[in-house]
Amino acid sequence: MGIRIALAGNPNCGKTTLFNALTGSNQFVGNWPGVTVEYKEGKFKGDKEVTIVDLPGIYSLSPYTLEEVVSRNYLIDEKPEAIINVIDGTNLERNLYLTTQIVELGIPVVIAINMMDVVEKNGDKINTKKLSEEIGVPAIEISALKNRGLKDIVEAAVKAAKEAKPQSPKHRFEGSVEHALAHIEELCLHSIDDENVQRWYSIKLFERDEKIQEKLGLSEDVISHIEKDIVSCEKELDDDSESIITGERYNYIGTIINGCVKKASRGMTTSDKIDQVVTNRFLALPIFAVVMFLVYFVSVTTVGTWATDWANDGVFGDGWHLFAIGSSQYNDAAEEFTANQLIVDGYDLYVEENGSEPTGDFEYPVEDEETAAVEYETATLVDYEAAAAYVEANEEPDPADYGIWIPGVPVFVEAGLDAINCNDVVKGLILDGIVAGVGAVLGFVPQMLVLFIFLAFLEACGYMARVAFIMDRIFRKFGLSGKSFIPMLIGTGCGVPGIMASRTIENDRDRKMTIMTTTFIPCGAKLPFIAMVAGAIFGGAAWVAPTAYFLGIFSIIVSGIMLKKTKLFAGDPAPFVMELPAYHWPTASNVLRSMWERGWSFIKKAGTIILLSTIIVWFATFFGFVDGAFTMLEEDQIDHSILAGLGKCLAWIFLPLGFGDWEATVASITGLVAKENIVGTLAIIYGASGDVYETMRAAFTDASGMAFLAFNLLCAPCFAAMGAIKREMNNTKWFWTAIGYQCGFAWVIGLIIYQVGRVFTGEGFGIGTIFGIAAICCLVYGIIRKDKYNK
Amino acid sequence: MGTLIVVLILAAIVAAIIRSIVKAHKRGEHPGCGGDCGSCGHCSHSV
Repeated sequence: MGIRIALAGNPNCGKTTLFNALTGSNQFVGNWPGVTVEYKEGKFKGDKEVTIVDLPGIYSLSPYTLEEVVSRNYLIDEKPEAIINVIDGTNLERNLYLTTQIVELGIPVVIAINMMDVVEKNGDKINTKKLSEEIGVPAIEISALKNRGLKDIVEAAVKAAKEAKPQSPKHRFEGSVEHALAHIEELCLHSIDDENVQRWYSIKLFERDEKIQEKLGLSEDVISHIEKDIVSCEKELDDDSESIITGERYNYIGTIINGCVKKASRGMTTSDKIDQVVTNRFLALPIFAVVMFLVYFVSVTTVGTWATDWANDGVFGDGWHLFAIGSSQYNDAAEEFTANQLIVDGYDLYVEENGSEPTGDFEYPVEDEETAAVEYETATLVDYEAAAAYVEANEEPDPADYGIWIPGVPVFVEAGLDAINCNDVVKGLILDGIVAGVGAVLGFVPQMLVLFIFLAFLEACGYMARVAFIMDRIFRKFGLSGKSFIPMLIGTGCGVPGIMASRTIENDRDRKMTIMTTTFIPCGAKLPFIAMVAGAIFGGAAWVAPTAYFLGIFSIIVSGIMLKKTKLFAGDPAPFVMELPAYHWPTASNVLRSMWERGWSFIKKAGTIILLSTIIVWFATFFGFVDGAFTMLEEDQIDHSILAGLGKCLAWIFLPLGFGDWEATVASITGLVAKENIVGTLAIIYGASGDVYETMRAAFTDASGMAFLAFNLLCAPCFAAMGAIKREMNNTKWFWTAIGYQCGFAWVIGLIIYQVGRVFTGEGFGIGTIFGIAAICCLVYGIIRKDKYNK
Repeated sequence: MGTLIVVLILAAIVAAIIRSIVKAHKRGEHPGCGGDCGSCGHCSHSV
């Protein structure tokens, strides 16, 4: 017969680290039935008969949060054979509060005092034997991170499970409270055999726990009888019942701490010193801005760009030299050849245009690779003769002559398809559709991995917790709460968990507003799109990616201020209490694992939903009606495609935003399936007429490119996130309100950026600029107007 | 013949993708996510 051991403890006490260490890869991860709380179960590595269940991190067994209800329901209904109560040795006072409740459940308990390595490093001392005597259950020192004491704790838990004799809790409440508890037990709990369980229920009923009242099926008479006992006790002790119990528990914990723990005297901890700077009233925001700028700068512009250029131009382009050996020499040779070829081509063009040879210096066109702009350079006849001699004597350099050349995926696939005489239509589907579309998305994987490493590091080291605290100070000035910022922090990875994290917000209005604005923060899926716009339209400028991030924050703050002044969302900001974990240097394995998990999720998505989308987009791009006949289209005929027809119906919506062409319109629509699709769609459409980046550069101006970026970052999120919004709103009207608000806000911001930005980029002042300025005035009014609902 | 083989392979891949999306949808997952609970932490998957 197997033994089930539950791991219970506060969040961040090292429970999951212990769970991973005890079970290794023998884990199952899912969800508790019917709720979105994660469920983890695994077999103990040392004994497969022992099953470890990792309960959600909780601070108490109260009925207020989903995690608490799930944990206590499991402990009461499933009754595991033993509980390992993991407590953080560096913070006993807070952790023991849960312990005092767990030992009342009537299940054998063993306490694991975790993080003992940190306790010893701090110079603190814990008298474990005395602690064990005071609480009445075995206590064992462990360090889950350093693999210390793990065998002992499991052995102790298994022993306790086999003995099946739960210890009676040593703690007793004040006399009048004990009197009330005894009355309650006698009144309605005497049918329960286990005395410990009787006591636990009586304490919960004393605290007026409605879920327990419901579970026990108590009649109104019984409840009102219990109420008399509670009221009598509250009068005597001049406090409410919950506070009485809480206060007494903490008094009890206080005596334990005084007797068992000796803290080394020390000044400020390293974390405190760092926080003095990082959460400083004046420095906090600039530091946050610099950190996020650096994160996006390095991810998208420097390291990320180098890696993505290799992926886009190498792996999904013509190919690359292994370890870059020979790359530099090849590039030099190719540049020299190209320079000479351009002079020769320019001479031939002159002859063709003028009907005669030049008698002196002549101009020839040179196209800039980054910007696609055409400039003219001057060459002499001597230059031409030298260039002509060079071109005649030398062939175009073959990259394979300079090192080990690895052909890119398109070259490799095309060669394979040609070898089997594959049909042109199928070849087009594979090369121009799937490889071009999926390849364009996968080409950004390096940038995403770099970004994910940074985000994982910032989360694991403890800085992101400070960001929520910093933002709370600012948010509160505008009637918002920092609690609303936490879903947005989570949303930097994916909008879906960000939206679902809004469940932690008790205030319904604030929760709805958070759901509506969470996806303004660029998620991981939007990063390839940001990088594509930055590279194609703005020549790889470093400011584009950080601007996208701060545009998201700006949009959240502006939306929050405006919405809070409406009747629908008015109200005081919710109180915000959070724990700031101590800073610690994250382990490389944790950071890399987090990076890989997110990256792998992205790659799987590319291989499924995006692959399907590229097939549909390719078909709709290369098939259409020409002269009334449905046919496959040539590259210069895609204006007649199905996709073009669809896009043209809706393109007028985006005319005021500067990108009212069908290509940008359909890209935005396909972005609703998955935001990465924007990249895949543009790669297929623009790739049909030549180089993707060059075509895109020619299709957008700076102002319209920025407007295109802003609109797609802020408008309705992908279908997955929309599904999450629908579930969380649980109301069709609110769902459409959220989507409508996001699209409307995105459209207005796009309008402002294009119509006002065009004045500064040299496109001139137009009638639309007046509307853009009017939109700014409306936004400013929405922000500064008097709030008539909050006094 | 080569074209036929390529088409059949493509069709099999597409069928496998659609099947995995449908199965995920029935499990309460969304096709947009990778289904990796460990990296997500909050989702609508249900056991």
